[in-house]
Amino acid sequence: MAILTLNNVQKNFGETAIIRGVSLDIEEGEKHAIIGPNGAGKSTLFHLISGLYKVSAGSITFKESEIQDKAPYEISRLGLARSFQVTNIFQRMNVFENIRCALFWSKGYRYSFWHLLGRQKELNEQAMHVLEQIGLTDKALFPSGELAYAQQRALELGIAIASGAELIMLDEPAAGMSHSEAETSVQLIHKITEGKTLIMVEHDMNIVFNVADRISVLVYGEVIATDSPENIRSNASVQEAYLGEVATSA
Amino acid sequence: MVQLKRLSIWIGYLVVMLVLPQFFDSILSVSIFNQMAIAIVFALSYNMLLGQGGMLSFGHAVYFGFGGFLAVHTLIMIEFETVYFSILFIPLIGGVFGLLAAIFIGSFSTHKAGTVFAMISLGMGELIAASSLIFVGFFGGEAGISGDRTYGPPFFGVEFLRDVEIYYVAVFWVFIATVFMYLFTQTPAGRMANAVRDNPERAEFIGYSARKVRFISFCAAGLFAGIAGGLFALNYEFITEETLNATTSGRVLLMAYIGGLGYFIGPIVGAVILTLMNSLLSNYSDLWMLYLGVMFLLTVLFLPRGFAGFIMMHQVAWVRGTIKQLALPYLLTGVPALLVMLSAIALIEMSHVEADVLQFIGFTLEPALLTDWLMVGIVGTGSLFAVRKSLPRLRDAWDSANTIPSEGGS
Repeated sequence: MAILTLNNVQKNFGETAIIRGVSLDIEEGEKHAIIGPNGAGKSTLFHLISGLYKVSAGSITFKESEIQDKAPYEISRLGLARSFQVTNIFQRMNVFENIRCALFWSKGYRYSFWHLLGRQKELNEQAMHVLEQIGLTDKALFPSGELAYAQQRALELGIAIASGAELIMLDEPAAGMSHSEAETSVQLIHKITEGKTLIMVEHDMNIVFNVADRISVLVYGEVIATDSPENIRSNASVQEAYLGEVATSA
Repeated sequence: MVQLKRLSIWIGYLVVMLVLPQFFDSILSVSIFNQMAIAIVFALSYNMLLGQGGMLSFGHAVYFGFGGFLAVHTLIMIEFETVYFSILFIPLIGGVFGLLAAIFIGSFSTHKAGTVFAMISLGMGELIAASSLIFVGFFGGEAGISGDRTYGPPFFGVEFLRDVEIYYVAVFWVFIATVFMYLFTQTPAGRMANAVRDNPERAEFIGYSARKVRFISFCAAGLFAGIAGGLFALNYEFITEETLNATTSGRVLLMAYIGGLGYFIGPIVGAVILTLMNSLLSNYSDLWMLYLGVMFLLTVLFLPRGFAGFIMMHQVAWVRGTIKQLALPYLLTGVPALLVMLSAIALIEMSHVEADVLQFIGFTLEPALLTDWLMVGIVGTGSLFAVRKSLPRLRDAWDSANTIPSEGGS
């Protein structure tokens, strides 16, 4: 069953069409990668699904409700979480607070000003558990803005997955990482998305073929192919449009 | 252990406030304490906006003044026996109306932070200040309105005739307000205010409407500003348009900023410093506003985290026990720096004073004598030179006191 359905989604910025009619079904539990050359509209597509941008036409259905007109926080409450390509954390708060804030809504605290956080044992334990998952336990009280880059990326993932959302969207989780750092983050992605649905944009083909069950190729705002990694690898038009050497060497 | 420490800080805070009039019992000092009490609540409420919520407001006096006006109106109603209750609860009246004003104005001003919010706050501040001269019935025009707190029913025999009695009422409210404002920072709404301050975009992706988070902080800030306004009304028994105009809004910004926005205690420090400067310095020099401005400038340039931030900077050295190493370098730079400051002030005062002689910290200076100008100038320049000379040493001492030696032993 599809957890997320895009139906002829379009996005124009002024006269320029960035997304030109994307239709896509994401099955529940699958790990789906979106690849494509720079400027293909991958991040724009993420922004449209998560509500940061409004679609120009078309519809997006998440768990049977139409979300194309909803605000990001409403979409997030439905159980769709995302990370960002450029690290997007709460810079002046410590690592633990970053994660704890990401837990509030799903734990039902809403806008409460009558719960004292020091007394919320379960919440605090949950936050420590997430820190453990992303390997930042010893940095819990460290100002997040002063973390090393790879650690900030881990925190970025942590904020996205903390709420326990069913659908997780990761925008280039390994951007700017060294080879070994990227390897660590693949393991991390496997670990934190277990039993969940994942949509991922990534340039590193090692990661894509390592993680994804299915791959969609986005070129100039259109999906030219959606298939299993093996078939994408051997698809002639994909090779021509994008993969080229990367696929053969991977 | 941590809880015990925290509790002892709160008890210390309360005890200090309670015993202050025992040591300084002159009419002047009690009046200064009352001003401090009002300023502390007001500045803390301002920090809920700027320090914790990232909302730069140029119109926070609106809620202070509005709460104050309603409090004075309540005093008048008590006087004419329209209502009957102890004036002890007057600050709460101020708080309720501060909150109502914040709910109304916040409903449209909290959509955006940054420049938009700042401009709306400025506009609303001007608008309310201007209408205070239009709606004379409510605001009393230029003269303001006045009440009399002594008409209320006595509270266990206390009739609130003396300022010191009002001081204890103020301590009660300051303590309660401080506790609740602190507790607010320990709740989900308080933490999300920090999150929205840091990154409103990301806050929306973890389920929170940045607008609503801001709105809640804004309302809380309005409530406590109103309580401060109510205390003002009780203390002075009259209120004028000045309490809700841009001057008052500017002053609370200065207090919070000079004290340090990033720390809960910052605005308390700022409120104490500014009230002292306001009341004491103004006795000695009519140029005190100039000095205040310079101090603000220096704070922004050199102590961006305020006085509280300056104190907290020493935490590492304190914990490591290396703070002793800093004492001498501080003295070597601090004394000449103080001399530079005093000479600068002396020069400014000499050019300003209308009398023939100027009494300045025990020295008699004659502005007509060139030698006096020269003397002060030489002391100032010499000290400036000494500051520049000693600064590198202070910097080195600071680095060695704060650097944790790495395993490599660098």
